[in-house]
Amino acid sequence: MKRLILFLAFTTFGFSQNYYLYVAAESDDTVSLIKFDGKSATELERIPVGIKFAETEGPHGLTVDPSGDYWYLSLAHGNPYGTLTKFSTQTNTEIATTELGYFPATMEISSLTGLLYCVNFKLYGTMTPSSVSVVDPQTMTEITKIPTGVMPHGSRISPDGRFQYSVAMMSGELYEVDTVSLEVNRVLQLDNNHHMDHHSMNHQGMDHQGMDHQGMDHHSMNHQEMHHSTTQPTWVIPHPSDSKVYIAGNSSNEIIEVDTDSWEIINRFKTGKGPYNIDITSDGKKLVTTLKGEGKTEIKNLKTGKSKIVDNTTKVSHGVVISPDNKYAFVTVEGIGGEPGVLDVIDIGKAKLVSSVKIGKQAGGIAFWKLEQ
Amino acid sequence: MRTILTLSTLLLSFSLTNLHSQDLFVKSDLQGLKLKIGETFEPETYAENLKGERLACPYTFYYNKQGVFSRAKAISYDRNKGEIQANAPGKHEVVAVCLGLGDQRLSRTFDVEVGYAMVKEITITVPKDNYVSTYLDLSFDVVDEQGFERDGQKLNLTSSSEILSIDNTNNVKAIASGTAKLTAELDGVSATVEIKVSENPLSKIEITSNQEVARTGDVVRYTATGFDSSGNEIKNLPFEYTFYGKSFDVSESAAGTILNDGRFVAEEPGNYSISATLGDITSSKPLRVVARDIKREVYRVGNTVVPDKRTSDFWIFEGVDGRDYAVTGTHSADGTAFFWDVTDPTNMKKIDSIKVDARTVNDVKVSQDGTVAIISREGASNRKNGIFILDVTNPYDVKVLSEYTKNLNGGVHNLFIDNDHAYVLGTGERYYILNIEDPTNPVEVGMFEVGKEGQNIHDVWIEDGIAYSSNWRDGVYLVDVGNGIAGGSPSNPVPFSNYTYASGANHAAFPFKSKSTGTFYVVLCDEIFPEGVNLTEPEITAGFCHFVDFTDLDNPVEVAKFEVPGTGSHNLWVDEDVLYVAMYGGGVRVVDISGELVGDLFRQDREIGYTMTGSPNGFIQNATMSWGAQVYKGYVFYSDMYSGLGVAKVSEDKPDTSNENQYIERTGIPD
Repeated sequence: MKRLILFLAFTTFGFSQNYYLYVAAESDDTVSLIKFDGKSATELERIPVGIKFAETEGPHGLTVDPSGDYWYLSLAHGNPYGTLTKFSTQTNTEIATTELGYFPATMEISSLTGLLYCVNFKLYGTMTPSSVSVVDPQTMTEITKIPTGVMPHGSRISPDGRFQYSVAMMSGELYEVDTVSLEVNRVLQLDNNHHMDHHSMNHQGMDHQGMDHQGMDHHSMNHQEMHHSTTQPTWVIPHPSDSKVYIAGNSSNEIIEVDTDSWEIINRFKTGKGPYNIDITSDGKKLVTTLKGEGKTEIKNLKTGKSKIVDNTTKVSHGVVISPDNKYAFVTVEGIGGEPGVLDVIDIGKAKLVSSVKIGKQAGGIAFWKLEQ
Repeated sequence: MRTILTLSTLLLSFSLTNLHSQDLFVKSDLQGLKLKIGETFEPETYAENLKGERLACPYTFYYNKQGVFSRAKAISYDRNKGEIQANAPGKHEVVAVCLGLGDQRLSRTFDVEVGYAMVKEITITVPKDNYVSTYLDLSFDVVDEQGFERDGQKLNLTSSSEILSIDNTNNVKAIASGTAKLTAELDGVSATVEIKVSENPLSKIEITSNQEVARTGDVVRYTATGFDSSGNEIKNLPFEYTFYGKSFDVSESAAGTILNDGRFVAEEPGNYSISATLGDITSSKPLRVVARDIKREVYRVGNTVVPDKRTSDFWIFEGVDGRDYAVTGTHSADGTAFFWDVTDPTNMKKIDSIKVDARTVNDVKVSQDGTVAIISREGASNRKNGIFILDVTNPYDVKVLSEYTKNLNGGVHNLFIDNDHAYVLGTGERYYILNIEDPTNPVEVGMFEVGKEGQNIHDVWIEDGIAYSSNWRDGVYLVDVGNGIAGGSPSNPVPFSNYTYASGANHAAFPFKSKSTGTFYVVLCDEIFPEGVNLTEPEITAGFCHFVDFTDLDNPVEVAKFEVPGTGSHNLWVDEDVLYVAMYGGGVRVVDISGELVGDLFRQDREIGYTMTGSPNGFIQNATMSWGAQVYKGYVFYSDMYSGLGVAKVSEDKPDTSNENQYIERTGIPD
């Protein structure tokens, strides 16, 4: 019955369908509202974001709440902490802002708790463990920070809303956070050869608030001796129905498949250069990965294991989101220097670029808003 | 320990309950809860439907609505114990969220009042000498048993004698001589002090000043001397200084600033009267204030428009060939820095450019010998950012010597070069000090950071071996990086002074020793965008420049400000007791900062002149967005985000008024 409803919902019946997305331009401090009508993508509105005109504040992560009434944006740079801002999808105007951690990046709202979980990427200076900020989007209150690994990225929630997954790029770990107890549930080291055993660390037991950060001599720490991941995972996406998550190994050029029941790596698929962000079709059949290092997008059939590569319009492919009808992958491409950012629309079935639209510089964060007949 | 339901239970309840959250209301025994400091409480929260039926929440959590930063300070929530704990007195909002019922979020905010602990101690501070007919300058400190200070709590004041009069707001006036015991009481704890009130010994006050006629902005020093009825001088009296004035211009109000030590500065030309008072005895002295009359013509000499990109910072330097050059950065563009021959400021020429993988080259600096430039980088496609060191011995053919990114991934916003060392901001947290004696191989030798959680730095300026870093809410830090005042060096930076102020917007700093007074100031300018970013309308800016007297390094004092209404400050330069400050939409302002500085310099009419820096051919036509100014060989160079690089000259002549309506001129020097 459910399949029939989905079929009816997404069968065109000759009607055109319009897809709406929000896309962030990290080096222009703008967010673009994009409409794709099945043939052509157009920029409906370019929304200025941020607080300081003369500083590039770096809009990075985007998500739309389950009701579709609000969209949320993380601004990476602040004084010094970045911020999370809530906007109305009706007016695209700001409703409220709250401060998070260093370089807040990707985020998602749990359908179970209604809370928003945003990783603090902490791209700044010395590499130290960072955190996941948990925000009540109703009141826009950051209610806690959950300590995780070094440079956490790719915050995605399990389909049942129960777990939040993120990867720590420089410590090479997969983190599973219990969205209800707001504690780290499990940690998995993703590197084949690692020096520092972050997995065995008791991150929950660490009293980060009680640490004397002022007293720490970060400058003289021997960071060369710290473990720098050979995998450098940058994204994790849960499978919509299976107990699996897929991770982009940005440095190891692979997709890592993790069984969340046994909590172990069960497969590693080689990809093109620099897999960065991932999305998966709602039927769980196809995995779409941006290849940042090549300016391409890879579409992988998880059943057959075969991949097709689509060239993006410019270089530095970044974010990807798949339409709910599984027809299209919307891919952001940063470009280099003064090049405009681009949103590419890829027909997943045909593995073909069907439209693209220029937006602000360094297109990155992307969130699907709605599909209208 | 409060039970945390298992996933299955939670999901089961979620799926089986066909409830609509709008029919349910969160109830909790948090309602009307009052706690004592340190007390814990395990709240019970549930949902209630319209029939008044009670439904258990599968899982409940709580948080302080003030958020994570104040969580530990006011009310904290221990998720393992399911308890809230009262840590600070006051009324706090606690949000209770009920999960697992209905299809929407269920939550409610409850006010929880945490009572003050009992008062432990009251301290009353009384001036040494108190005279009849004066209000006593008393202060009260109340500390409770938890060590919290209670501010704003009205004390019960009583006096043992009618020689003290206490009004409804606890002002205490001495109305007769004698001795009284003043008691302050709160929560049953009291403190008593004995106050001796003397007859006013004065028969008369003589008031003198160092000027009879002053200009607006001149600080006039008044000295009051008290004499008894025998004509003997009485020393160390607590005079109160006040002023009265009448402007020459009926449309203006006399205004000024008077300090407790008798210094007065007027903002408007007019007749003033400065008074010194003690009790019923007072004496006044007139002061005639005339216009400062320092307006000068500021005219534009040249402009090299960058029409297709926003321009950022710039630097003017003398090349090894003796000619004059400039380098300018670009903002939110394509990573380009431009080089200009500015030997003839009326005919500045673009001579070279360099483009790096970046979107913003925010800052550009050149070594004192004119051989090496460094450009900062933000928005690199590989996110490594950092800096590029350039060979500018031939500015017509600039070459990259090296790229340096260590610890600078998040982007470099500002930097400085001083004596073979580069001071480079590492992503807003700290600055790294690089030895660039071999510019092809920069080596990190030192680092400075404030060392506080949430530290944030915006800019750094070096002069005489002292680094002045602007650290937003942490204000300015003076760090010895070779001056010797604190034994510091580039490899061992030693902080020795700091000043913060309330707005927390310290964006740029510039030190100067007044040529006219010898006073050592640091000027701290804000950067504030009160309404955020707007791409379709002119940017609204705010903030001003704070003048801080650093004569006493342990106790710097903010003495004056320069604020232009309607526009905010950015980068600045000081030369020969003149301030040149870019005020974004307000252009470049030229300000007389000679003499002693007290109060509001703009209102004192100390502005010499200004130039609006927009261009009809600019990135945004005719719009002014001044970035910074630099005085070089008698010219005022500036950059403007929309018009590029420009140069102005401050004339010796007064502004030409031949085309102005005389009736709207400001008041000049009266007869």
